Amino acid sequence: MIKKPDVKVVLLGDMNVGKTSLLHRYMDRKFQDTVSTVGGAFYLKQWRSYNISIWDTAGREQFHGLGSMYCRSASAIILTYDVSSKQSLMELEDRFLGLTDTASEDCLFAVVGNKIDLTDDYEGEEESEGERPRTCSTSKVRKQVYLEDAIALYKRIMKYKMVDENHAPAAEKMCFETSAKTGHNVDVLFESVFNMVIPLIVKKKANGPEDTINLSQESTEKHTKTGCC
Amino acid sequence: MSGGNRNVGMMAEELDLPSCEQLREEEQLKGEGLEVHQAVKGSQVSYVDPLLPSPLDYPLKKEVFDDLENGSRQTKTKSLNLASDKQCHTENAPSGAALLPRGVTEDTQCFSVVPKEDSRAEGNTSHEPLGSISHFTANQERQFLNTLEQCTLLEEDLKKTPYSLPSKEVLDCEVTSVKSNSNTMEKSKGVVHNISSVTCNIDKENETNGVMLDEHLPPESAQNTAGRCSELNDLSSADDNLKQSYSISTEGSIETSVVGFSNVGFTENPKLGDVVADYEVDLKELTDSASTDNTLEDSGDFPSISSVVGTSTAEVLPPTMPVQREEDVTAESWRTKRRHVFVLSEAGKPIYSRYGNEEALSSTMGVMMALVSFVQSGNNSIRSIHSENQKVVFLQQGPLVLVSVSRSRQSDEQLRRELQYVYYQIISMLTQASVARIFEKKKNYDLRRLLAGSEKILDSLLDLLDTDPGFLLGAVQCLALASSLRDSLSSILTKAITANLVFSILVADHHLVTVVQERAVIEDCRLDPADLHLLLNLIGASSAFQAGEIWTPICLPRFNPDGYFYAYISYLDPQCTVCLVLLSTDKESFYAVSGCKARILEAMEAQNSLQALAAALQTCSYSVSLVGVPELLHFIYKPLDVPETYQQLPQFTSPEPDGPYSSEEERQRLFDLYRYLHCRIHSSSRPLRLIYHVAEKETMLAWVTSKFELYTTFSSLVTKVGAINVITKLLRWIKREEDRLFIRYPPKYSTTPLPGKGGKSNRTDRTDPYQNGFFTGL
Repeated sequence: MIKKPDVKVVLLGDMNVGKTSLLHRYMDRKFQDTVSTVGGAFYLKQWRSYNISIWDTAGREQFHGLGSMYCRSASAIILTYDVSSKQSLMELEDRFLGLTDTASEDCLFAVVGNKIDLTDDYEGEEESEGERPRTCSTSKVRKQVYLEDAIALYKRIMKYKMVDENHAPAAEKMCFETSAKTGHNVDVLFESVFNMVIPLIVKKKANGPEDTINLSQESTEKHTKTGCC
Repeated sequence: MSGGNRNVGMMAEELDLPSCEQLREEEQLKGEGLEVHQAVKGSQVSYVDPLLPSPLDYPLKKEVFDDLENGSRQTKTKSLNLASDKQCHTENAPSGAALLPRGVTEDTQCFSVVPKEDSRAEGNTSHEPLGSISHFTANQERQFLNTLEQCTLLEEDLKKTPYSLPSKEVLDCEVTSVKSNSNTMEKSKGVVHNISSVTCNIDKENETNGVMLDEHLPPESAQNTAGRCSELNDLSSADDNLKQSYSISTEGSIETSVVGFSNVGFTENPKLGDVVADYEVDLKELTDSASTDNTLEDSGDFPSISSVVGTSTAEVLPPTMPVQREEDVTAESWRTKRRHVFVLSEAGKPIYSRYGNEEALSSTMGVMMALVSFVQSGNNSIRSIHSENQKVVFLQQGPLVLVSVSRSRQSDEQLRRELQYVYYQIISMLTQASVARIFEKKKNYDLRRLLAGSEKILDSLLDLLDTDPGFLLGAVQCLALASSLRDSLSSILTKAITANLVFSILVADHHLVTVVQERAVIEDCRLDPADLHLLLNLIGASSAFQAGEIWTPICLPRFNPDGYFYAYISYLDPQCTVCLVLLSTDKESFYAVSGCKARILEAMEAQNSLQALAAALQTCSYSVSLVGVPELLHFIYKPLDVPETYQQLPQFTSPEPDGPYSSEEERQRLFDLYRYLHCRIHSSSRPLRLIYHVAEKETMLAWVTSKFELYTTFSSLVTKVGAINVITKLLRWIKREEDRLFIRYPPKYSTTPLPGKGGKSNRTDRTDPYQNGFFTGL
């Protein structure tokens, strides 16, 4: 009866970057005002035949202590920043990367720049953005973080995790620019993360249980028993 | 009257309530009076209550004093002399009827007369010898009425230009007697209270503001403070245009005299013949009462004051980036807010402001901190500043200073309690220990870093404080529900438990449905209503909760201010009305607790409880008309006779305000009246047991016995006998509905294995992890 999650995906990032909005857009297909998340929110998403648990965490420093608990044995971590705030990208490295230590070893990382709709060069595609001049004057909201910054961060994360770049998915595939408001790229983000994470889980399951007790592992077995859908 | 009494007595006996006679005896024993006020707005009043000749052991809240001949003020009263609250209780003044302008409601001037017969009937005793009775001559009466007109006019003025200070009105003070002899003012000079002392500067023309301090200042400390004046002056004079000087005299009492715009930082006051340190404080918006000293300014200054105030802040405050909750702190609308609440750190760093951006207010907060530390330097602590129509109340809690600037008529205690709630809400997010630790490490830490995003929670708490009587009464209102349904829900909660689960709380539409507690916790502790209020506020203020399952650390400050619980919060229905809150002591137990929720949901679905709850919710906010007494407009009832063992959760019940109180303003007005009655009933210096209060639009009766605390509102045409009859009917009705209105027997589950649950509920093994995990922080 109780659906047990197969995969754990965690959204991390500074406050006000739009983690809750992203998830809301993906789950409920709508964008609405949210208030600052308290602690962490747990969602269960039925994706194909899998139950994917998604932790939407609070970006506030206040709840920093819980971060490692949310990340424990996570299969994928979506690091979110705000394209109009350089600081939010730096925070990812300074504050949130350390939390991912408790994640599962072969954890996938995605780096997501949200609020792309706010930037003035939104109508065009992301590819062109790298060529734009870096320094922005004070027009409306200028983009402060470019995709290549995110790619650089991704590579640093891989280094931090001591993962061989050749084994990890290509940085270009794991960096996204999204808009929870318009829905731009949101589905692409979640679908591709899920697409990549599921094979890993299936492979792991085939390899048999590990010596460490894994919550998602345990639940996977249960799931096959109930076999709903 | 007597027939009515007998009738009431009978009914009271049936209800096992104290009869009127018993009550009266009780009153006599206590030496407390039944206070009966009747409105006689604008009617003939022939006697005034005499001033008591002896000094009162009660702080003078304010004395308003004016001299017509001086001609410098707009007020046309001649020697309007207002004395302390204490005096208004001398109801048995021979043939006396005290004229009591009750500044209870903001928009009404309501005068109460205390008829003699009532005081006789209640056998009220006055422990003060009565002085000479001043007859209120027709001339004086006219003058007084003139003044009152003036008051209302000025009040209107004030509403328009609240910071243009001309008012020296009675509006926010307890006015009790009007005397023609201004010399009696002298008698109250030097009135000192053990705990707080407020002295008023009696210099003829001086209007006074009271500063309440914890203790009497010894002369030396006053001189000490004098020495510090220059520092303070430096501190605040940089940008102040509006200067308020406090003079601290060596008489040993704190005097506040507003010295207008004199830029003198350190002066000698020859009038007092004492060394007086005047220090200037830029209070800006905080006190609108700045210059009221007629000797030092003339009325021509007034327009300039308001203009100065208008511009000063604009100069002072740097232009800040527009933030979402930004509000122009220089705008009129910001200043006219009914209540401001500020939270700052001991270093003067802004932490929270109800309105406007904290950064924009940093200089204002700096001044507040200056006030606090100045008084602290004399081994005192500042409690409140009373100005014309505002009160500034301070509360220091650990490294945090909370300040409330209110225009409402609440008492200091009530305002301080509100600040306490604000503090608790902050603590509930951070714990007291971590706040203390943070500031120990770094005095000028910006706590907003940790509280960022929580402003909405504090905002909604402050809104709730203005509407929910639960905070006032220290009780919670539960959803009116058939007891069978409540019991079945409780038993569902009782069965779905896991290790380290301490509280299971079911909430529907922000109303409590039921609470289940682990018995080991109950033993010496109980869930405090304040904690529950804070928790419910947190849930209500966070719409993010309405999807998914939340897992968050939360501290219940009344339960344990230093430790975290881990709260699991989840809505059970798609409409997000029924909310389940499970509190665990184990940080890691999310999945286990989530399993409990699944079991609870399953059981509720099996029993169709959700539908039953939804049906109950439709009718949950019951109307007062259910009682079936048309004269009764509204009531609040808090039982006090709950059996000892079940007393862990004080509750109250109150119908949804409807009828005349459908509109927001009327509700607020009604709530203000309740606040007033509550503050009179629970006044620390003179608690009352019964108040019959005739307000402008309604008649109210508040009654406290050993069994209940009751506040009732009647239509204005009700008689006293009628009111008592209605109350009898109401009490009967409540007795009948008791099981529905209250959680009579809050369920507890114990550590003994539950039948049919086998090993799972063998809870003896949980004591260890429970104790280990209990006080762990993050």
